[in-house]
Amino acid sequence: MELDLDESSLAIGRIERALSRIEKALADRVNRPTPASATPAADQSALKAEVAAVIGELDRLIAEAGRG
Amino acid sequence: MADVKLTIAGRPYDVHCADGEEARLIQLAAVVDEKTRTMPGLTEVRQLLFAALMLADEVQEARGKIDKVEPQSDSLRAAVALAESREAQARDELKAAIAREQAALRELEAAREAVAVPPAAANPAHNRALLQIAERIETLATRVEQLP
Repeated sequence: MELDLDESSLAIGRIERALSRIEKALADRVNRPTPASATPAADQSALKAEVAAVIGELDRLIAEAGRG
Repeated sequence: MADVKLTIAGRPYDVHCADGEEARLIQLAAVVDEKTRTMPGLTEVRQLLFAALMLADEVQEARGKIDKVEPQSDSLRAAVALAESREAQARDELKAAIAREQAALRELEAAREAVAVPPAAANPAHNRALLQIAERIETLATRVEQLP
């Protein structure tokens, strides 16, 4: 039981830190001049797809946990 | 009926009374006789007259004392009634306080039981999924940080 709780807390902590890293990277990116063609469109699409997938997975997990 | 011989102011009297009242009658006759003896030298009729007057005076005086005592008695009765009322009120308040305390104890006990209930077991599958999501977001963070 304790191990399970620790695992979930650890995972949430990792998620929070990763989100902070993303937030910081995006803020840095906004504040610095970037060439328009610096990021390939395919990479951007893949990134967006991964973000959407992770969000979808989180939503699914939250809904499942909410149902018990 | 009982026959009783009484002697008042030196004269004997045969009187009748209800059974069991003989002693009381003799005692009353003694009171009257004692009064007549306080007035020696008078005729028998006058002795009896003055004895009757003196006894009537004592009766009236006694009634006056009773009348004076009765208001005090009323006050005492009112005080007793008030005290009883307050005691009943205090008893009711005590009962209500005990009931409240018992209800609070029951609530406390229920709260303790609720706390004592072990939390729902964490779902290992959820933990695994959460860890996988954490890894994916970390990877995403790395990719975002590496964006040119």
